[in-house]
Amino acid sequence: MMKNYKIIIFLSAVTLITACKKYNTFPLSQQTVDRVFDARDSLGANANKFLLTVYSQVINGQNRIDNNYLDAATDDAVPTAAAISEPLTQIATGTYTSFTFGFGSGDNVWSACYAGIRSANVFINNIDVVPVQATMPNIPNLSMKYAWKNEARFLRAYFYFQLIERYGGVPLIGDKVFNVGDNVKLPRNTFEQCVNYIVGECDAIKDTLLTAPLATSNYGRVTKGAALALKARVLLYAASPLFNGTTLITEAKAGNTGIGPRVVTDPNIVGYQVADQNRWKLAADAANDVIALKAYSLNPVFPDIFLDYPPSNNEVIFAKIVDAGTNVENKNGPIGFPAANSNGYTSPTQDLVDAFPMLSGIDIHAANSGFKPDSPYAHRDPRLQQTVFVNEQVWLNTPLQLFQGGQSIPNSGVPQTVTGYYSHKFMGESERVNNYVSHNEDWTIFRYAEILLNYAEAKNEFSGPSPDVYQKLFEVRKRAGISQGNGTYGLTITADKAVLRGIIQNERRIEMAFEEQRFFDIRRWKIAPTQMNPYKHGVQIVKSVGETTINYINVLPDVYKQNTFTPNQYLQPIPYNEVIGNLQMQQNPGW
Amino acid sequence: MVIINEYSTKSTNKVVMRKLILFFQIIFTLLPAALYAQDNVVSGTVKDISGILPGATVFEKGLPSNATITNGEGRFRLTLKGQSNVIVARFIGYTPQEYHITADKHANIDIILRGNNQDLNEVTIVGFTPQKRITSTGAVSSIQGSEIRTVPTANVQNTLAGRLPGITTVQVSGQPGKDASDFFIRGQSSLNASNQPLILVDDIEYTYDQLQQINVNEIETISILKDASSTAIYGIKGANGVLIVTTRRGKAGAPKFNFRIEGGEQSPTKTPKFLDSYQSATLVNQAYTNDGLDPVFNQADLDAFKNGSDPYGHPNTDWYDLIFRKHTYQANANLDISGGNSRVKYFISGGAFNQNGNTNNFNDPQDLVNTNYYFTRYDFRSNLDLKANKTLTLRLDVTTRFADINAPGFNNPIGTIYSFQTENSFSAPFINPNGTYAYNNSVFTPTHAPTLNAQLANGGYTHSRRTDYNVLVGAVQDLSSITDGLTLTFRTAFASEEDYQLNTSFLTDNLKNVFPSYYFNPKKPVGAQYSRNPGSPFTYSTYILFGGTDLYTNNTNIQIFSNYDRTFGDNHFTGLLLLNQQEINSQADAPSNTRGLSGKIGWDYKQKILVDANAAYNGSDRFSAAHRNGFFPAIGLGYVLSKEDFFKKAFPTFDLFKLRFSYGVVGSDGVPGSHYSYQQTYNGGSKYSFGTSPTTYTGLSEGSLANPDITWERDRKMDLGLDINLFKNTLSATIDVFRDIRYDEFVQPSLSNILGVGVPYINAGKVKDQGFDGIISYHNNIGKVQYSAGFVFSYAKNTILQEPLPQPGFKNLNPIGLPIGQTFGYKFIRYYTQADIDAAKAFINEHGKNSYLDGNGHTVVDPIPVPAGANSGIGINSLHAGDLMYKDGNEYYAADGVIDKSDQVHIGYPNLPNTTLGLNLGVAYKGFSASFLFQGAFNYSVIIKGTGIEPFQSQFQPIDLKAWTPATAATAQFPRLSSNFIGTVNSPTNYPSDYWLVNAYYIRLKTIDIGWQLPSNLLPFHVNNARIYLSAYNLVTWDNFSNKYQQDPEVSSNSAGDQYINERVVNVGVQLGF
Repeated sequence: MMKNYKIIIFLSAVTLITACKKYNTFPLSQQTVDRVFDARDSLGANANKFLLTVYSQVINGQNRIDNNYLDAATDDAVPTAAAISEPLTQIATGTYTSFTFGFGSGDNVWSACYAGIRSANVFINNIDVVPVQATMPNIPNLSMKYAWKNEARFLRAYFYFQLIERYGGVPLIGDKVFNVGDNVKLPRNTFEQCVNYIVGECDAIKDTLLTAPLATSNYGRVTKGAALALKARVLLYAASPLFNGTTLITEAKAGNTGIGPRVVTDPNIVGYQVADQNRWKLAADAANDVIALKAYSLNPVFPDIFLDYPPSNNEVIFAKIVDAGTNVENKNGPIGFPAANSNGYTSPTQDLVDAFPMLSGIDIHAANSGFKPDSPYAHRDPRLQQTVFVNEQVWLNTPLQLFQGGQSIPNSGVPQTVTGYYSHKFMGESERVNNYVSHNEDWTIFRYAEILLNYAEAKNEFSGPSPDVYQKLFEVRKRAGISQGNGTYGLTITADKAVLRGIIQNERRIEMAFEEQRFFDIRRWKIAPTQMNPYKHGVQIVKSVGETTINYINVLPDVYKQNTFTPNQYLQPIPYNEVIGNLQMQQNPGW
Repeated sequence: MVIINEYSTKSTNKVVMRKLILFFQIIFTLLPAALYAQDNVVSGTVKDISGILPGATVFEKGLPSNATITNGEGRFRLTLKGQSNVIVARFIGYTPQEYHITADKHANIDIILRGNNQDLNEVTIVGFTPQKRITSTGAVSSIQGSEIRTVPTANVQNTLAGRLPGITTVQVSGQPGKDASDFFIRGQSSLNASNQPLILVDDIEYTYDQLQQINVNEIETISILKDASSTAIYGIKGANGVLIVTTRRGKAGAPKFNFRIEGGEQSPTKTPKFLDSYQSATLVNQAYTNDGLDPVFNQADLDAFKNGSDPYGHPNTDWYDLIFRKHTYQANANLDISGGNSRVKYFISGGAFNQNGNTNNFNDPQDLVNTNYYFTRYDFRSNLDLKANKTLTLRLDVTTRFADINAPGFNNPIGTIYSFQTENSFSAPFINPNGTYAYNNSVFTPTHAPTLNAQLANGGYTHSRRTDYNVLVGAVQDLSSITDGLTLTFRTAFASEEDYQLNTSFLTDNLKNVFPSYYFNPKKPVGAQYSRNPGSPFTYSTYILFGGTDLYTNNTNIQIFSNYDRTFGDNHFTGLLLLNQQEINSQADAPSNTRGLSGKIGWDYKQKILVDANAAYNGSDRFSAAHRNGFFPAIGLGYVLSKEDFFKKAFPTFDLFKLRFSYGVVGSDGVPGSHYSYQQTYNGGSKYSFGTSPTTYTGLSEGSLANPDITWERDRKMDLGLDINLFKNTLSATIDVFRDIRYDEFVQPSLSNILGVGVPYINAGKVKDQGFDGIISYHNNIGKVQYSAGFVFSYAKNTILQEPLPQPGFKNLNPIGLPIGQTFGYKFIRYYTQADIDAAKAFINEHGKNSYLDGNGHTVVDPIPVPAGANSGIGINSLHAGDLMYKDGNEYYAADGVIDKSDQVHIGYPNLPNTTLGLNLGVAYKGFSASFLFQGAFNYSVIIKGTGIEPFQSQFQPIDLKAWTPATAATAQFPRLSSNFIGTVNSPTNYPSDYWLVNAYYIRLKTIDIGWQLPSNLLPFHVNNARIYLSAYNLVTWDNFSNKYQQDPEVSSNSAGDQYINERVVNVGVQLGF
């Protein structure tokens, strides 16, 4: 027995030594908040990485929904692969409900924006402990962390803007970072409170941000100009007819009772109950503040806005940085090139093409325009072919064959344009090469031309046509390459506010096409029914020996080529789960 | 002379439930009927079906003191002293066997014993303690390894179906090396955590995948523990039930060699049939015509398809037939050696298994690359027991396994063949006239991929190379010097498993670029007849071999326990105290640790009143320190009524009547997702950068919210059991009724997305799982023929009681009160007729849509419901006669004329069967025996979608010939064909309905074993046992959805039905003992 006891003791010892090991002796791969915002991190390396995450949550509009631009749900384009089961088609035709789109599908950005707001709040609440030594280049004695913090505040304000342009007033959560036990069943704030919050944030941070021109290594960071540009846009929206004196509740109720519980009854949630003309002045002044910075200018070459970096390009005020590449071409380019893969997801409409004036600046429908129906693309605003591929335009060293049976419209098997046009905007300079050239693919969010148009619109609405307003339009048209003519770049000089409004709206349409502006513009201007209800058009070019026939056609299959724009579509539905689980949350009218 | 052997099938409650297979065996001697003078010395051999039985007792009937024990070769010699002329052979775990001595037969007697799980004194190890069947209180079922050894399948899981009550298995795939069934004990209870039972092989925790690598030849017993009383000792890991495998060990005696070799032929249980080119093309035209489009094929095309006059322009290729073999082969060989003496006992075994795959061989012999499926496995085990001295026993077990699993590199061939858009009967010729491969060139195969045979020939393989090592070192110290019946055991087990994925491939993965495939056009001039796949010049590449993922786990398990077992008069006490720790490391993950203290106290009075108390206090490092350790108690009670005199008098036919009851709480620690979900973590997130020539940084982002309070799921298990034996133990039954309430289940609460971050799991779900299971068995003989029957049944139905789900869009989709995995869908009414559609159209044209408000504010609804999107003047055109009409409205929503999600209701059952049955029939006559196991599963639902059934997704199938046309409207068995079937209301993908859902059942002749054990006197020198047998697996299947779907009934969640088809195996083997 004694012998055995020794063995037993030995075995017990071995077992117990192994067994007494503590849990979690293995290093964890994850980091805790103290390591992300580290009081010893004078470089702020981890904090900066966290800020990068906040930046990365900004929405990139390139082929965002079903590989389409959001603009394919407007009168400017249609989805090439339109199908009633595709979210983008559903947006375009209003055949969706509050629970059709899960998070991230369709245009449901609710959770993406609130996730961004949360990340920004985590950063804002924790960055103070990090002793960042670097200082701001424009304010030499101030630590960079204050600029960083304000960048996060800008991004947060921008996320809110993304929400209110879709939903109207949404819950404002301030600096709060919610935990699992917290009450997140919040009511919606009024539209005015949201606008004031965004404007207030922009005002508060504008002077403690980097300023343009940025050092090349800082390109992409939020600047003072970006804060002012956001303020200008949010005030422009606030002044627009959809929100400024809203009638949405009555209109939407007449059209559709909706299926959701607790529909908004307080008009202040979806806009301002009382219209106020002075809001246009605030918008014009805010746009003018950006102009007054004199830090930005129009890029002399229209396509280069999206391709060039500063200092040669001073038009971009804020962009989401995206890796260089050829994704735009791969997703949108004309098909049929064996060596250059593409899909042509978005098909621009004839209606967009017709919106571009002649090179003289004169509307093609005008009697004196010189427009020739048998060569419809000749002598047009250069932006036409920079935005849309038309027949015989040179691409990849080849005149494009956008006629029936041509290389890019083979009429067999593969997805091809349904309108006779492919989208060209944002693409690199691949006209004279055999393969796509890699290029800057940043998603431009604010640029100077928009500021000029914002100003022109707001000023015209506030005080009517003035040389000041026209001057802004001239600048945009001059850069586009429209001939000066008698100095008016083809524009009619009028004292009629409404006529000039139409001119400004058309200019915005063609200048900002595919930049996720049109979708919201036709809503805030309340012109969506007139623009969305008619058939959308395309072209069918038939080429036979020595003869080319151009037929204008209605596009899209029967079921969804025509749309009934009901007033509830002015705003999007609050996602169903948000409403159903939260008695405080009111649904938008008509949903 | 003839000996009738008893055989048995029957489980009892706690100890061992053993034979499900009914066996019947008859042994007969081939000796000439020469007469011998009666001699009072008899001699012979005692065997069971797998060989000799050393250590069996042989005694003279009526004179039990005249007994002997069989020697190391299973032989005995006994001088008869009494008058009965009958000897009896007996061995624990077997039915005692009588043998009538006659004048012509008194030497070289073969007595073949039959295993018997009704033996009340048989001992099984359940939860570290040896327990007798009669005194156990838990719900335990067991099976002997010898009963399943000859089932011709590579893995042990597949042999359990229909044999063990309470177990549900689903075999989803027949792929060699990956064909193991998933199995569950008493169904499923957990919404989000794993429902996999705890699997312990010689105290080492295994995964499903590891279990399938075990060679059945090494297995001594398999037990499943089902109730709280038996699983509480595993505490935090016991809630899903426990499956325990013990391996064979040596017994004292001369070395016993056992050699088994077998070879089998496999063929698919079901072969899909696809239509030929002519039929397919006709249906394509029919679909286009239905859509109002021009037909794709003209009459000349159809003629060419039909008469085969243009085999390249109009191919007619039966891909299934050309790609797959009708038969494949498998082989299995095992050798084991066991024996020992009073100091050393050993069991050593080795095995080799090989299984071939079902595709033909297309690869270029020059490449030496085998792209077919195959599975090979070599395994070795050495189990040693050493008696170090009088009181100390040491144990050393070593196991290794090497396995190779091969599969084609590029795709799943069955899936490719099912898919209309990759391959169909007219998409390409099998091979071009000059021997080159073709590519799929029909208008319906837009990718123009090379044909499947080209891909198989050039696609290389993916290969999984597995290595398992297990070592177990143990010591048992007898502490009877302290008090009688006390022992102390140490055990340390190490297990490592590595799975290294190895692939061959060409350098690039673009099939079109690397595979040389050509389109052959005989109409072009010679020299220009072959054209390459458009736009993709072929570039010559060579195979490269590259490694993929390396998956490995290390598992260390330490146990110290002390057992106590002592009888004081009528009182018998048992006790156990166990300290157990386990650490599992896999790859770069943090280890997973559990540690616990368990105990058990048992008392019985005259084996009549039984009381067991079990408890575990254990913890898992998946939870924070405050919520780490849980206490899991259980109590078991038993009352053996048949030991009471009044009962014996009243019911003399009962040999056993025992009631059992157990109740307790067991846990489950399998939190889904992050290993440390109680800690808030920050992870690498999206990449972002600044600058005009950016350097991209990986951002840091907040992980899902932590739940510091997260803790284990609990399962409150209640079990009521009845064990009876009747009619001299010929009829027996064990029946258990159970009700398990799983609560504190891991669920993700539904919180507003204003939270802005992922929601953690919280303990808030609740599921009830209740049912019954059991086994009834009977055995007897008619003259010299023995027969037996065993019936195994299991029923387990779960109901979700509580689940804080994200609010479903509609009340009718609420899963509370329904089983886990319930399907929702529409109710099919009938096919739309043209009259329906005209009526609906008229209504819509009048009112704008198919409902309107009348003057009184009432909604008036078109009686013809139409799908959402079709309820407008334009939309209605998308609807056609022959489409499926569904029921509008349900108990939650009134009919509104529109078919949308609000009209769905729960249809059918979940996919996992809630009822499984097994019927085991056996017969034996002399040396012959035959057994048949029928196994069935009932009450589950199958819905197949996409490439499994939908036209233009799937290749055309015979059912498509029965599609609706105006002429066949009355007898249609399939909706109107459409070129955009998946976009119509008929599609099971977008409109799941009871039209597509089949409430399924199947019954299989799961296994057969027919064998002949040669009489000893025929055996040559040194061979002491020989058996020749024929066995089969999945031999015949009856199911109720073959008229709709062409899949094996166990397709499970694989709703496209494109898995490797389950195999039927017919096998012949020889077993030799020497």
